[in-house]
Amino acid sequence: MIRGWLQSLQVRLALRVAALYIVAAVVVIVVLMSRAYDTARSLGDQELLLRANDLARYVTAGENGLPRLEIPANLSAMYQPPSGRDIFAIRDANGRIIAAAPPRFGELVAGWPGTTSEPVRFDVRLDAEPGDFDGLSISRETVTGLVSVSVGRSSAGAAAAYSLMRKFIHDTIWAVSILVLAALVVGILGIRSGLRPVRNISEMAAAIGPHAMSVRLPDKGLPSEISPLVTAVNRALDRVEQGFAIQRQFTANAAHELRTPLAIITAALEEIEGDDDFGELKADVARMNRLVEQLLRVARLDAIVLDVTGVADLNEVASSVVATMAPWAVARDRTIAFKGFRDPVLVKGNRHAIRDAIRNLVENAVLHSPTSSEVLVWMSADGRVSVADRGPGIIAADQERIFDRFWRGKGVQFEGAGLGLAIVKEIMNAHGGRVSVENRSPDGAIFTLHFTIIDRENEKLSGVSPANKPSL
Amino acid sequence: MASKQTLRRGQELRVLLVEDEPRMSKLVSRALVRAGFVVDAFATCADGREAISLFHYDAAILDLGLPDGDGLTLIAARDSVGRGIPILVLTARDTIEDRVGGLDAGADDYLVKPFAMRELIARTKALLRRPGSALGSLLPAGNVIFDTIAREVRIGNDMVTLSRREIAILEHLMRRLGRVVPKAVLEDKLYGIDDELESNAIPVHVHHLRRRLADAGGTVQIHTVRGVGYLLTELKA
Repeated sequence: MIRGWLQSLQVRLALRVAALYIVAAVVVIVVLMSRAYDTARSLGDQELLLRANDLARYVTAGENGLPRLEIPANLSAMYQPPSGRDIFAIRDANGRIIAAAPPRFGELVAGWPGTTSEPVRFDVRLDAEPGDFDGLSISRETVTGLVSVSVGRSSAGAAAAYSLMRKFIHDTIWAVSILVLAALVVGILGIRSGLRPVRNISEMAAAIGPHAMSVRLPDKGLPSEISPLVTAVNRALDRVEQGFAIQRQFTANAAHELRTPLAIITAALEEIEGDDDFGELKADVARMNRLVEQLLRVARLDAIVLDVTGVADLNEVASSVVATMAPWAVARDRTIAFKGFRDPVLVKGNRHAIRDAIRNLVENAVLHSPTSSEVLVWMSADGRVSVADRGPGIIAADQERIFDRFWRGKGVQFEGAGLGLAIVKEIMNAHGGRVSVENRSPDGAIFTLHFTIIDRENEKLSGVSPANKPSL
Repeated sequence: MASKQTLRRGQELRVLLVEDEPRMSKLVSRALVRAGFVVDAFATCADGREAISLFHYDAAILDLGLPDGDGLTLIAARDSVGRGIPILVLTARDTIEDRVGGLDAGADDYLVKPFAMRELIARTKALLRRPGSALGSLLPAGNVIFDTIAREVRIGNDMVTLSRREIAILEHLMRRLGRVVPKAVLEDKLYGIDDELESNAIPVHVHHLRRRLADAGGTVQIHTVRGVGYLLTELKA
């Protein structure tokens, strides 16, 4: 099941396309994210540098000649609590703190090594403040000479920026996912509609059988990848049909060619009165007749698959077989009895073939019955026909083999060719039924044909119809 | 074998045979002549058609595969002369379509080759036993003769006394000599006579009929085919 499912072109294509889309989406999202974070970080760095430059610009020489910071009030407010998100510290070339906010940061920075014109990152934690501060230290030229500026900001502030970014990425992931899904759906629908003609053709091909040999598959509107296959199948069908026709013709001709001379011999022999040897010759010809008859029947069953789509009344067929064969049985001092129903027992199948099957069984039963005994044919309302005789029965070891072609029981001399039961079995197989055999008590054999009955009211297969009570 | 006289007193029964295989034609003709028929044998459809239009036949025996067409086409010729000649078809083909096709086309019976001559004669006689056919008025079986017009039964020169019901049953059995008459057919027939037909009425009548024929020395036998019907046969000599 899973294997079959994986064999599907649709599923295979869909799986591959889906994998491709998912990988592409993941790559796009990862690249987007890293680019976004990079940009955010470099933007942050840029801002810190700008701020460091700003601060350096406000460093002036004080009255005592020492550098001091004079920042405008609006800028100063940024560095005062409670906003306190941003911190800074400025040291002169000697490492003395010129200005710091908050002072605690100044104390910390005083212990740091000197700086160069290349920014150096830091990450600190201040006792009084919540969260981390990250920033950079850099040397800057001022009117008073080189100073070292350290600026930082609360990572809480950065977190807000990052959460904005995360939201953006989140939205992007959604958008990409929906796009991928939509692309997948479009892709699968495309594959499906592309393969629909193939499915239609498969259904047509399934309907082709020995009774519909002339049907060919249309190759219009097919994907160009498939049409060579269809053309090849059609050519194969041409050849098969031809083969069937030849086989049928041969069977029909063989029947005619064999029967006419046999008929002449049979008729000519009947005219001649003779001794015992002559009687044996007649029996030989009778056996030959029977053999040819059965061979032709087997050939026909092989060459032409039975049309079993019709409806047959099993009751009517069985009773008419009994009626047809009764005179023959009576001439052999045996009788045939039938136990059936007043109402039809309808089964799906070919009534002529079913008649052949029942006739073969009755013929065998009469041939194997002792003189003056009765062969009983009876119906079961669930679609079974049984034929019972009072002959020697079938030993267990033979009960399978008797249905083989040309099988004949040991020590039993009849004119049979050993094909009758093989024919019965083939007919039953064609009907989706079976033939079974059992021994009868105290002696004899019972052959049963099992069919599936049709419920007339519901036109479906069902069990026993209550109206069908056995009659007689 | 019955003589010409038992078939029809003072008049010949004429049978048309159309069969292209000369040996077969000769053998069938000979068997029919020996059974008391007068036979005209032809080998082609054209000849057969001409014969049907010129002469009065009581029955026709046609082979299906003829050099100039299918024997079944002669059925149209029979219908055009307006006489209900019963037709027996001989065929070497026995595919299902042929069997059904032959009877559908208007043949009254068919025999698949090879067949026993006895069977051919029996079938031909059976065709003539149909109501309205050549033997419709006087039916023989063994030493029993049934006069369908006088509705009398004779064995040799003696009349056999039978009830109306027994006569009705015997008529059906004799018309289908050697073949099974379904019980349902007899029941239908007797409904007109016995308005209230009891379930065992037919077996009782058959039982009486059987005993009366035996008592009168009839060389026929009525067999019961349980569950299907009854069968009249001539006693083996």
